[in-house]
Amino acid sequence: MDTRLGYAQGAGPGGVKLWPAYLCFMIFGVLIPFSKPDYKFTTVIYSLLIAIVVGLMAINVLILVFNSGNAALRQTDGGFAREAVGTGMLFMIPFTVLAIIALAVLGWNAVMPFASAAITTAAATAGAEAMKRGAQGTKNVMIPTLVAMVLSTVWMMLTSILP
Amino acid sequence: MNTAAPMDIPRWKTALNMMINPGEVIKTQMTKIPWPYSVMVSGLSFTLFFLQTGLDMLKAGQIGASTVILITVLGLLYGTVGIVLLAVMVWALSQAGERGYTLEWAISTFALGYSATFVYALSGLIFSLAFGWKTAVAFGVTGVLWALRPTLYTIKQMSGERVAFSIAMTTLCGAILLIGWAVLGKFAG
Repeated sequence: MDTRLGYAQGAGPGGVKLWPAYLCFMIFGVLIPFSKPDYKFTTVIYSLLIAIVVGLMAINVLILVFNSGNAALRQTDGGFAREAVGTGMLFMIPFTVLAIIALAVLGWNAVMPFASAAITTAAATAGAEAMKRGAQGTKNVMIPTLVAMVLSTVWMMLTSILP
Repeated sequence: MNTAAPMDIPRWKTALNMMINPGEVIKTQMTKIPWPYSVMVSGLSFTLFFLQTGLDMLKAGQIGASTVILITVLGLLYGTVGIVLLAVMVWALSQAGERGYTLEWAISTFALGYSATFVYALSGLIFSLAFGWKTAVAFGVTGVLWALRPTLYTIKQMSGERVAFSIAMTTLCGAILLIGWAVLGKFAG
């Protein structure tokens, strides 16, 4: 019986799960229109599509950044970047749950600050996970944070022009 | 627990580093920070956050000046007693004592994580007083959200890197803080 349930473990590339991160992006995509005073069904669809695109970009750009910045580590452990991003992005979950609580329970019209904090925290955590797997230098935290900030700004701008 | 001798870094720098690189601070610098200092940081953060809440309600004509003072005092209690209780709960649930983390260390690390909330709350108060903006949600709640990152790292460290547990506990802590703030605001108003 596994007595270390819930502990971070080394997973093979096949064992890395990215779907929780995509699910978080999709939930944010659905929630964002509901925080506006007026919206249509098409607004929700557009917002969902934008969230999926931002999610795809965030995850793949982070994997690219870790792989290109740690060539030596990539030679020995080809799946380290995917593992780091998969684990780091799990930390979007608390922000997603809190955004749902804020909107549904507390009635606050502010989802975007949750999304912005989620993507930036998850990216920085992915950087820390990469360093734990052997990636060298604080660039592994600084660059993902910068990427996340740019992406969340773009996301914010795109959602502000939703019909 | 990390037993390496920490460098002599000023406490205010450690508080600022907690926002930028919480993982490193938690592992190497927290043994130098006494828990009353950290509780002072979280206490001040929530005092300013609740003061903005009171000022927002005052601007909307919902409450008077005396209630603003009451809400501010509630903020002080929330940031000191509330955060200490939250830290004790997380310390107990994560069985951090078995890994060599003392209760004082847990309180100190947990409370210092709210240095991000302090920066946001202070900025919000400046905008509230100078421009008359309503800043409690925009600055205050955002500040609490940015404090979740140090909270997450603290729980990860205390729980022995248990990812699922850290995510669940961070969510619980965030929910308690946000719902508690909303309830106290309504109660005072």
